[in-house]
Amino acid sequence: MNNHPRKIHEVVYTPDSAIHRPRQMLKEVYNDLLSSGELAWRLMVRNIQGKYRQAFFGMFWAIIPPIVTAVGLSWASNSGILNVGETEIPYPAYVMLGMVLWQTFTEAFNAPQAAIKDAKALLAQVKFPHEAIILSQLGEICFNLAIKLLVTIVIFLVFQAPLHWMLPLSVFPIILLIMLGTALGLLLVPFINLVEDVSRSIEIAILIWFLLTPVTYPPPPDGILGAISRLNPVSPLLGGARGLITTGLLEMPTGFWVMLLLTPFIFILGWLVYRLSIPFIVERIT
Amino acid sequence: MIDLSQTPAIPVTGDLSGSEDDLRIQIKHLSKKFCRNLKRSYVYGLQDIAKEVSGLSRHSRTLRHGEFWALQDINLTIKQGQSVGMVGVNGSGKTTLLRIISGLMRPDIGQVKIRGRIAALIALGAGFNPLLTGRENVYINMSILGLSRREIDHKFQEVIDFSEIEHAIDAPVRTYSSGMKARLGFACAIHTDPDILLIDEVLAVGDFNFRTKCYQRLSDLRKNGVSFILVSHAPSAIRSNCDYAAYLSQGRLVMYGAAEEVMYHYEQDIVFQKTNQAELTSHLIVEKQSTNTPLQIRSIALQDETGLLVDHLVTGEPAYVVAEIEAAMAVENVGINLIIRSLTKPHASFLFLKSGQDVDFFSLPAGKSIIKLYLPYCGLAMDAYSMKFNVTNEGVLYRIQDIVESFKFKVIGEEGIDRCSFYQPRQWIMEDEPTK
Repeated sequence: MNNHPRKIHEVVYTPDSAIHRPRQMLKEVYNDLLSSGELAWRLMVRNIQGKYRQAFFGMFWAIIPPIVTAVGLSWASNSGILNVGETEIPYPAYVMLGMVLWQTFTEAFNAPQAAIKDAKALLAQVKFPHEAIILSQLGEICFNLAIKLLVTIVIFLVFQAPLHWMLPLSVFPIILLIMLGTALGLLLVPFINLVEDVSRSIEIAILIWFLLTPVTYPPPPDGILGAISRLNPVSPLLGGARGLITTGLLEMPTGFWVMLLLTPFIFILGWLVYRLSIPFIVERIT
Repeated sequence: MIDLSQTPAIPVTGDLSGSEDDLRIQIKHLSKKFCRNLKRSYVYGLQDIAKEVSGLSRHSRTLRHGEFWALQDINLTIKQGQSVGMVGVNGSGKTTLLRIISGLMRPDIGQVKIRGRIAALIALGAGFNPLLTGRENVYINMSILGLSRREIDHKFQEVIDFSEIEHAIDAPVRTYSSGMKARLGFACAIHTDPDILLIDEVLAVGDFNFRTKCYQRLSDLRKNGVSFILVSHAPSAIRSNCDYAAYLSQGRLVMYGAAEEVMYHYEQDIVFQKTNQAELTSHLIVEKQSTNTPLQIRSIALQDETGLLVDHLVTGEPAYVVAEIEAAMAVENVGINLIIRSLTKPHASFLFLKSGQDVDFFSLPAGKSIIKLYLPYCGLAMDAYSMKFNVTNEGVLYRIQDIVESFKFKVIGEEGIDRCSFYQPRQWIMEDEPTK
């Protein structure tokens, strides 16, 4: 089968923490990233195909939640049940955009755990670069986001809401938003898998977080909610993306620049925790 | 159970002095802890992750509360082209060892060095998506196993040819039978050009033809220098496919050596660990009893052909069962009955031998007499047995004079238990003149 001699790859497994050999670890990370790209792409295509081959309406299910929220909240706002204050653009379009961005954040936040759950059998049986399942989830999130943004643009046109020429720049806060969500999800991987209470409370935590984040309302200038939203790491990124799309201005510029510096660090930390903890989790969840 | 500390096992560690070039797997002092309590094992998991991330040492020879050694001090070296069968009862650590070798789990003590690409056939078709076609799944499965698109393109036809599912390759995998899935999974794994193959009980699926084909392919791969570890509960599979065997028991590697020898000991253990070794005997002396029956059995013993006492019988070898019977007075028409049952297989290996049927009845004078049952070949296969031995008048069971309810003994065989259920004396002859 294999007549030409090839370089024999050698690997040594020991109980020692990989942290002590940073050079070795960086090399492994590099190799794994390199070899996981193609696999991630395949897994992503597989997941998307699998999902849409079974559902009659396919994409419909991806865009229906933000539309329902937009319709519901607009009705509540119009009838005076809800007072959200002044928004720069028609409220339905505002909510739609905010919801799409928030959903992207939560999808990224849930991505690592979804990836592990999906690939449980695989993790237990085959050694492969574990980055691949995360990358494939991120690919799927971007795919979903693209579709949702298209629908959002249609809604903007319908409500004659303005789109700013700085719109393409919103890709940076969106990338940071996805990175932050993924990083927090990665950091929580050991806890979600090994502490039952954490996995149960995630949904409630997300809901509370949603209510405290200026998604369906503009950032409050003062008060407790205003303070919370300024400390909330999601607000400047979500607001930044929304601002660049609609008005060309970052909603919370200081917060945005802080998060621009912080997010990559949190991301690398999350990645590290994920990488190092997977063998211990695999041992226990399979 | 065979005392393994006394068996002349081949050194448990292979030759380490040879060149590194042909080294494939080298395991040194490997130990692994597990915890049966789920909640506690999660807590330990978090501790271990915390230590791993913060760079603290996890190295500890003491067990935390509730833990046990799933693997303990394993040393094993496997070289290029070697095939090693791995045996042990359920829970002996075989799968854990395979998972550490394949890099899915980290050792707790010791180290594992792997040289070369590993393909693990722990579950065939891991990652098959039932909704996608066979073709799409081949691409996904092989890229999980580490091949690039170009390599898969190159191998694709070979995979299809080997798995024999060309006709169904564009149908969703959920329409496949389990045999078809296994075939496709096996084909994918072996076409990844591995240096080391780990095979865990997966070849039990699939029909006879396909199994034969798999084993044929394994043998070809081995000739090309691929090493493999085969875990199987079928001793014949290991005997016919492996040069070496590793025998694990309670997380320890108790024996490593030539497959035939290791399998022989393993099978003995399997048979005899089900029985209480202390009960097995070869010479039973019965105390004189104060009953009023004229006949009493005083002893029963096993002897070889030369009349020497032996502590077990050997399948296919001649043997004697010798009984000493004491008569209070001369007794006519004495019949002896022997009932032999397997201790491990309650419904199998049944012998009912009656002296009254085989020969005439015995006439015993007053005093001690010796009656021998000669077995030209011991037809019993390797196992532990219980013999009921009784002395009767005219061979009828309701006129039993004395009885030994259970004489437990063992039979050792040269052949494995999976081969024959009894010994058939035989000769092979080739006629001189070819028939026309």
